[in-house]
Amino acid sequence: MTELTEPATSAEPSTATYVFAVCRATDAPALATARGHGDGGEVRALPAGTLAAVVQEVPTAAHDEEALRRRLSERTELERYARAHHEVVAAVCEAVTAVPLPLATLYRGEERARRALAEREARFHRILDRVEGCAEWGVKVWALARPSAPGGPEPATGGDDESPAGSSGRAYLERLRGRQRAREARQHAAWTAAERVDAALRPLAVASRRLRAQGQDPAQGGSGNQLLNAAYLVRRDGAAALATALRALNDAPDTGDQVRIEVTGPWAPYSFADGTDAADETHTEAPDGAG
Amino acid sequence: MTQTRRTLEAYEPLEPYPPRTANLADILERILDKGIVIAGDIKIDLLDIELLTIRLRLFISSVDTARKAGVNWWETEPALSTRANQDALADENRRLRERLDSLETSRECLAGDTPRAKRRKERPTP
Repeated sequence: MTELTEPATSAEPSTATYVFAVCRATDAPALATARGHGDGGEVRALPAGTLAAVVQEVPTAAHDEEALRRRLSERTELERYARAHHEVVAAVCEAVTAVPLPLATLYRGEERARRALAEREARFHRILDRVEGCAEWGVKVWALARPSAPGGPEPATGGDDESPAGSSGRAYLERLRGRQRAREARQHAAWTAAERVDAALRPLAVASRRLRAQGQDPAQGGSGNQLLNAAYLVRRDGAAALATALRALNDAPDTGDQVRIEVTGPWAPYSFADGTDAADETHTEAPDGAG
Repeated sequence: MTQTRRTLEAYEPLEPYPPRTANLADILERILDKGIVIAGDIKIDLLDIELLTIRLRLFISSVDTARKAGVNWWETEPALSTRANQDALADENRRLRERLDSLETSRECLAGDTPRAKRRKERPTP
């Protein structure tokens, strides 16, 4: 087997360094169980000054811009890639305080990764301090599907089932208007309920974010609009209070009867890893990306 | 508990949520971009992926239903299949936009005539 002593042009190394998450150097987690991407090496901690990156060497050819664009444009491959990323991040964040990085954060070698971390050291520490001892919880609120399904009882008119004689046209319009009013009232009640859910949960969280709405509710067979898709950063010792609040919301007629509440978590603090939060935003601090 | 609420059926607050079963849309909306703390050397155009995610999000809720019905929507979804198709779609978009522009321009030209024509019609014939 002849091995080239050294490639003359080391422009594109054959492996790239995939960074999943960043933690404090003193926290470097045990990563025996994390598999990472199927085509990569072992998932390990890469020390970088006061920080450590959780990394994996992956073949560049399968993870460069062109390859990724192709792979991530295919649903099954996107799912595989996303879940591989997510599993490592979740394992790391369960074990230690860590900042999850976005999908496909890749460097041409570990030296480049180390340098990138060093340049943002202060910022990473600030985020680590903020998410320390916290987990992200996702809360989705869906409008309930219309209760009056075809064939279902129409509650508006009681028992006065007049035969469709003289006033039938007017009665029909009245019924339509009544239905319209009922629908609007239902929508209003649902929106109010969603706002109530958010208002009740926000004080229990260190920070909160609104995520983009996801559309219809799969649990209701694809009907029922999503009214709230939020993420809350909650201290671990506050998780019980969050559960209690959610149960209360679910049992209260003005929320539980109006909407379906779904909670997911605990997540790695994905939605709070960008170095800003509500407090940062109001302070409008000087941009620290000067470097 | 006199009344069984729909909401309680599939809902047990704060059950640990195993990552493996997490909804793909929930994962994607968390692992894509999110204001960049740090930039990698290899930059994929997240905008493309973002668009894909939005489509996914729109469809994801119906994926399970679709699967049960034996429909693989993503295989027939042109924007999701290949780059070439995406380019074709962009081209088609541009062509359509140009046509729309030219149609709107000619409509503006016509707009001057239309009300007059209408008025002529409405005027009672002597």
